[in-house]
Amino acid sequence: MTKKIKLKISARLVKKRSRRGNGNRSKMCRFCSDKEQVHGIDYKNATFLKGFLTERGKILPSRISGACARHQRVISQEIRKSRVMALLPYSGPAF
Amino acid sequence: MLRQYEALLLTVPEITGDEVKHLETQIDKIIKAGSGSVVSFERWGKYRLAYEINKNDYGVFFLTRFELPETKSTVTDLKALFKVKFNNVVMRDMVSALDPKRPLTYQRPRSLEEAPAREAEFSKDNKMNSFFPMDDKDEADED
Repeated sequence: MTKKIKLKISARLVKKRSRRGNGNRSKMCRFCSDKEQVHGIDYKNATFLKGFLTERGKILPSRISGACARHQRVISQEIRKSRVMALLPYSGPAF
Repeated sequence: MLRQYEALLLTVPEITGDEVKHLETQIDKIIKAGSGSVVSFERWGKYRLAYEINKNDYGVFFLTRFELPETKSTVTDLKALFKVKFNNVVMRDMVSALDPKRPLTYQRPRSLEEAPAREAEFSKDNKMNSFFPMDDKDEADED
């Protein structure tokens, strides 16, 4: 009988619970929680900044990169500096 | 009060050793004139550029760090040196003040010279035999 009760939890409820868990986690900015990582945001460190670009070379929005407004600003400033030095592209390869 | 600066230079790929020495001495001269001191002058190596500059696909990066008193206008002199005197050698330059709170260590992308030779070999070896089994067919015909 106990097995049957467990099965009765609907898929919708499980989804809802998992969604809530994910939402809480993604709200933490990775740079706020780890101050050491902030030093990695540097225009010279192009390999790191490349992770914040799309395939076409656009800067990822903060809702995807997961950075808070303050650190998103730092990222985008450093990316723009890096572009001047030709370490990062202004626009990616055309299809 | 002294302030720390750094200058990242992007030069043409065919820069010679003499030109590098000349560049270094000129930077040193200007900074000494501004009663500062050069801390370091590093060669990063050759890089593939993200986009073409002056019809160059490749470039050599140099990073120099120096200290200057805040009040002097030596930085503008330095920028003028890169833009005027080394116009045909230095393609891009970026002079920036360093944050005193930040550690001086930094990370940079890996240059072409440091990249392991294995990667270059890999593209050579990987001729996609499985997709175009030409060799296998020939063997089968011989049998």
